[in-house]
Amino acid sequence: MNTQNNSLNVNIGGIRMRNPVMTASGTFGYGSEYADFVDLNRLGAVVVKGVTSVPWSGNPMNRIMETPSGMLNAIGLQNVGVDGFIAEKLPYLQDFDVPVIVNVCGKTVEEYLTVVKKLTVAEGVAGIELNISCPNLDCGGMSFGVNAKLAHELVKEVRTKTQLPLLVKLSPNVTDITVIARAIEEAGADALSAINTLLGMAINAETREPELANITGGLSGPAIKPVALRLVWEVYKSVSIPIVGMGGIMTGTDAVEFFIAGASAVAVGTANFVNPQASLEVVDGIYTYLENADMKSIKELVGSLKIDV
Amino acid sequence: MNTFDTHTTIISNEKVAEDHYLLRCECSDIAKFARPGQFIHVMISQGAGLLLRRPFTIYTVNGREITMLYQIIGEGTKQLSKMRREASIQVLGPLGNTFDIAKNPEPAILVGGGAGIASLMLLAVALRAQDTPTIGLIGAQHQDRLLSVDDLEEIGVKVHIATDDGSVGHHGFVTDILTDLLHKNDLHQPTIYACGPHGMLAAVAKITEKFEVPTQVAMENRMGCAMGVCLGCVCPVYIDDKRIEYQRVCTEGPVFNASDIAWEIS
Ligand SMILES: Cc1cc2nc3c(=O)[nH]c(=O)nc-3n(C[C@H](O)[C@H](O)[C@H](O)COP(=O)(O)OP(=O)(O)OC[C@H]3O[C@@H](n4cnc5c(N)ncnc54)[C@H](O)[C@@H]3O)c2cc1C
Ligand SMILES: Cc1cc2nc3c(=O)[nH]c(=O)nc-3n(C[C@H](O)[C@H](O)[C@H](O)COP(=O)(O)O)c2cc1C
Ligand code: FES
Repeated sequence: MNTQNNSLNVNIGGIRMRNPVMTASGTFGYGSEYADFVDLNRLGAVVVKGVTSVPWSGNPMNRIMETPSGMLNAIGLQNVGVDGFIAEKLPYLQDFDVPVIVNVCGKTVEEYLTVVKKLTVAEGVAGIELNISCPNLDCGGMSFGVNAKLAHELVKEVRTKTQLPLLVKLSPNVTDITVIARAIEEAGADALSAINTLLGMAINAETREPELANITGGLSGPAIKPVALRLVWEVYKSVSIPIVGMGGIMTGTDAVEFFIAGASAVAVGTANFVNPQASLEVVDGIYTYLENADMKSIKELVGSLKIDV
Repeated sequence: MNTFDTHTTIISNEKVAEDHYLLRCECSDIAKFARPGQFIHVMISQGAGLLLRRPFTIYTVNGREITMLYQIIGEGTKQLSKMRREASIQVLGPLGNTFDIAKNPEPAILVGGGAGIASLMLLAVALRAQDTPTIGLIGAQHQDRLLSVDDLEEIGVKVHIATDDGSVGHHGFVTDILTDLLHKNDLHQPTIYACGPHGMLAAVAKITEKFEVPTQVAMENRMGCAMGVCLGCVCPVYIDDKRIEYQRVCTEGPVFNASDIAWEIS
């Protein structure tokens, strides 16, 4: 399909992308794993698994559980650490003509800053996505994302340490997402990603045990799409920086719904597990939709929800 | 890498024992590259509430066809067992590492519990093709659930059977037979290959550690991607005397050295 046409071009907080489809962090590894199925040069951006200041070993098993139209995960951010990432994973990605966005997590402000500083001087990082919404950590992680003051302070600190485009990933596990979103915008973020997984739980009735060793985990997949759309819509109405929408996107039509709700780009997550080519099919689906709707640019679609006022 | 996501139709899907089915389909690319121990990740039905694919070992390869031998466990395998000839499925594979038969064992002892025997069939074929004397210890709950005995005997594997209720063969566990075999101490240079329920694998590992016999086990765990990206399928592995690392069953596995696994926390 001719998706080289520039109707899909977007600029997300300073990152220019050939199309608005990225991979969601933690669902696409470090880019090389899906080489048999996805030509990275056809993606808008690659967002890699969360990296931390030192390698993390992750949570004990079981780490995942299928639920109706979704899945719970409590991986615990097992990753090679920022030095390992830069030395072993980043070089592979530099062979492609695609922006690389690195998802960053930490337990303390200092840990976030350590990672950000190293990524800023590394070759081949197009942007940073601050993960302040990981539900599977005892401390840090999500605690920054559910408190407007902490979120503001962290983003402000990070902003002083890097000129790279800065995305901040929002947690859905809050009472009012708009308060947090505005605090992050004021602190100098260039774009917002919404949403991370919803905190959930699964119980085995027979054994009375939790299905996950971590007891609770993050819910993703089609089951969360309605919640994600609602949150993107609320954030869209309250900030002016671009939003990367995600949560249960399986098809081009799902993605289109996120644009209509106010997203300027989308990320494909759990769908990659089900269909290794999901991200490319989403690109094609969006393109076809624009053609059929006779739209010249994806930008015409953003926030175009029709409502009677 | 040689991994393929093949859209195909079912050629046959027949009941071969109580709650167990054998599914045949054409997947020429997967058939071409499949090696003993490797598996496929199967999309059963999308959109019906079941989100994830299901992993199954490649049971046999015949020209362009592959088969899988599976047990009904829950919703996914139940739906699969109801699918008929011509129904379409999506098959990703071949995935994972393979059994190591580099050092010609004498004999090879295959220990399979329940549907676990499925993981050992391609291995048995490879072993017999190089004339390795091969013993199969097959465990089942009872006679009606016994799998693969004829298929193994046909290629010259010497089969011993154990059933939980004694309806056929030894009344007890395959691990009892294994212990007896190793006690006799007349085996030249045995290697054990095992697949089955977690408890059985842990028991096998304990026995073979005592007898100092090299042992490879095919592990199972819930899987998301089966491509190494979600880190959902890990099991704890010793990387030296003290340090444990979570390794991916779908990528570093499914086959591990039994002595590398941290059974106490797995
Ligand atoms: C590498 C590998 C090879 C396998 N090969 C075979 C085989 O050849 N024959 C066979 O009968 N079974 C095999 N299994 C087990 C098989 O994958 C499960 O029985 C099946 O996924 C159960 O699905 P369900 O929907 O019926 O069960 P449910 O319990 O309803 O499934 C719920 C979720 O748990 C997962 N799950 C449940 N049991 C297992 C299990 N034992 N292992 C992994 N995931 C599980 C399912 O995939 C699903 O995501 C293999 C597993 C692995 C990891
Ligand atoms: C197995 C798994 C691992 C994830 N790891 C991360 C991560 O490291 N960092 C992060 O910001 N989000 C992570 N996420 C969240 C996803 O990026 C995404 O926000 C969420 O899954 C919703 O999208 P989806 O429904 O399309 O998967 C992870 C999700 C899954 C399922
Ligand atoms: S199943 Fe995703 S890493 Fe193994």
